[in-house]
Amino acid sequence: MDRRTVIKGGLAMAGVLAAPAYLRAQSNKKISMLTWNIADQEAYFKELFADFTKDNPGVEIEWLDKKGPELPAFYQTQLVAGTAPDIIDLQGMIWVEWAANGALLDMSPMLEKEPAVAKLYNPDYLSGFVYDKKQFAIPFYVAKTLLYYNKTMFKEAGLSGPPKSFDEIINFSQAMAKGEKTGFLTLNFDWLYWPLMRMNGVELLKPDMRTPAFNTPETAAVLDKLAKATASGGINKIAWTGRWVEPNGAFASGNVGMLQAHSASYFFVKGQGPWVNPDTLGATQAPGNWSTPTNHAFVISKSSKNPEVAWALIKHMTGNKWATKFALSRRILTGNVEADNTVLAKMKTEDPLAHAVLQTQIEHTDKMTGNWPLPNDAQVKDAFWPEIQNAVLGRKDSKTALADAERAVTRVMRRS
Amino acid sequence: MVTATVEAGRRHRSSFIARKTTRQAVLIWCFLAPSLLIFLLYRILPLAWNVILSFQAWSPLRPAVWIGFDNYDEMLTDEVFWQSLWNTLYIIGSAPIGIAIALALALLVNADIRGRDVYRTAIFLSYPLMTVAVAIIWRWMFDERVGLINYVARSLHLVDSPIQFLNSFTWALPSVIAANIWQMLGFYMIILLTGLQNIPGNLYEAAEIDGANAFRRFLRITLPLLKPSIFLCFVIGMLNSVTSFDLVYVMTGGGPGRATEILVTYIYKLGFVQTRFDYAAAVTVVFFIMLITIAWAANRFSGGNAGAVERD
Repeated sequence: MDRRTVIKGGLAMAGVLAAPAYLRAQSNKKISMLTWNIADQEAYFKELFADFTKDNPGVEIEWLDKKGPELPAFYQTQLVAGTAPDIIDLQGMIWVEWAANGALLDMSPMLEKEPAVAKLYNPDYLSGFVYDKKQFAIPFYVAKTLLYYNKTMFKEAGLSGPPKSFDEIINFSQAMAKGEKTGFLTLNFDWLYWPLMRMNGVELLKPDMRTPAFNTPETAAVLDKLAKATASGGINKIAWTGRWVEPNGAFASGNVGMLQAHSASYFFVKGQGPWVNPDTLGATQAPGNWSTPTNHAFVISKSSKNPEVAWALIKHMTGNKWATKFALSRRILTGNVEADNTVLAKMKTEDPLAHAVLQTQIEHTDKMTGNWPLPNDAQVKDAFWPEIQNAVLGRKDSKTALADAERAVTRVMRRS
Repeated sequence: MVTATVEAGRRHRSSFIARKTTRQAVLIWCFLAPSLLIFLLYRILPLAWNVILSFQAWSPLRPAVWIGFDNYDEMLTDEVFWQSLWNTLYIIGSAPIGIAIALALALLVNADIRGRDVYRTAIFLSYPLMTVAVAIIWRWMFDERVGLINYVARSLHLVDSPIQFLNSFTWALPSVIAANIWQMLGFYMIILLTGLQNIPGNLYEAAEIDGANAFRRFLRITLPLLKPSIFLCFVIGMLNSVTSFDLVYVMTGGGPGRATEILVTYIYKLGFVQTRFDYAAAVTVVFFIMLITIAWAANRFSGGNAGAVERD
């Protein structure tokens, strides 16, 4: 065998070996999806992916799940490595920063091409994912704050029903504070306390979305009232220091009159509070019907090699069939109107209290606050919140705290 | 002729030695290379990149732009940075308290008492525990509703209402410091106990014959001879304190407000919460310089040869 024959044979062999890989690459479309702390949903996603690939042969889906605090860090490393997941489930307003910096795909053209898809979702929840007039995310599951109240404590304090104004929240809190018992708690992460401000007409920023608008005598008065009620035990201090377990746990103990939190808290409180039943727990809108959403939504990475497959998978996951399955299995709302109506109808008979809680999530969705599309939301939050803590916990007088907060927020805005 | 032969022999010998030395050097470098490569890859290069990053405006979402000393300028007026630095120094400053308690415990378990091995083990147990576990244990110990400390304090009528240790601007940092000291106590005690057992007994006997009381013996014999062990505890305690990220993060998350924010938690938040890796890099550089300075100062205090290998 001469040298030429050997080379020819080698090339032919290499061609034979390489061809299937090339053909595979042509026919297979691989996409990756990153979700936020729902590793327990493996069976659901397996079934969902099988259903999707049945209609979309040749698509391979890689599913990753990360815990809340790990997800942004994981995404950032993947982004730097040039291997950002195609689809990402994001919570809160973190998507705005990514969208503003060009990391996410604008889904508006896709929605314009398929107007029926947009009609699947609650318009207020869907519009919560618009930045710079572009749709960057599609709701996956949704929640917003409401006011839970302990009917037994209300009765003991001689209170006939939930508060109708901010001043009533404060007065009712004081009325219920006695020994171990306190009157009010709020979750505070992701601006969940903001309805307390908004119901008093306080705005965070001016319409230009750059200039602080909160340093006013009205805000100082609100902080003074909150600080006074906190010092006297009307408001539980955990409202300003706890994150999730502590405030929900405190309310579940049955010693707190009211809790401002989103619908997910209900299942935590019910799990920990043996006293919870429709006769003892009430669920209603906060005064003025103000609420702060904390939603999960799917985004597509701009670097995705298969954006059309990613879009098809998002439609599949948030469409009527799979959104309903998800809502029913987790007893949550999804932002998909049909799915949410189905789960609400089921809850009405099965668990009237859960129904009352979930019902608040689709009401007054036009009065959601604390969900400003700020590219530097995390930085603004981090500049603002410690000063509010200083004021309500009595470390600084409200005017000084607000002036310091204004300086810190202005600095963040200037830097941005 | 003889001289020339001797000279040639000497040259041959010296070139043989040179060759042998070179071969040995190559061999040594071959053995060292993997470790050095890993050190270079995982320590030096990230450190160098971190320094470069501190002079840039960069995030995973934006390309890098050279901004000179802007990040360092910002640090000068950044109240959170200064608060974190102070808190870090407070925690460092708490190391001697832990060492003093550990010394007392080491003296106790060094005495001839029944069951001292059990006491030694019990005291040491805190050290091998994962820091996250320690943080969770202490978070519940300090809890106002179900915490042991509040339960005891109220049972003994020391307080009327529970103290919100981790939610209070006054109590949060001391609470974190207490947990940090508790975790390190076992380590300090073992080091000091080893030091105590290395002190020759005849020194005490001689001092006793000379009429020195227990306190003088402790002051004149125990303390001076324990100096190397105390120094070791101090250096390790300090370094452990400044890097106790997990303890602070799990116990308080840096709050309330910034009451327990330390430099490492602040750096983490800047990078992974606020996506400000550039500014976080600048704070890291300052933190690194601070650590180097502390290590250098500690080395100077110990006589300038800390970590040196003693030759027989």
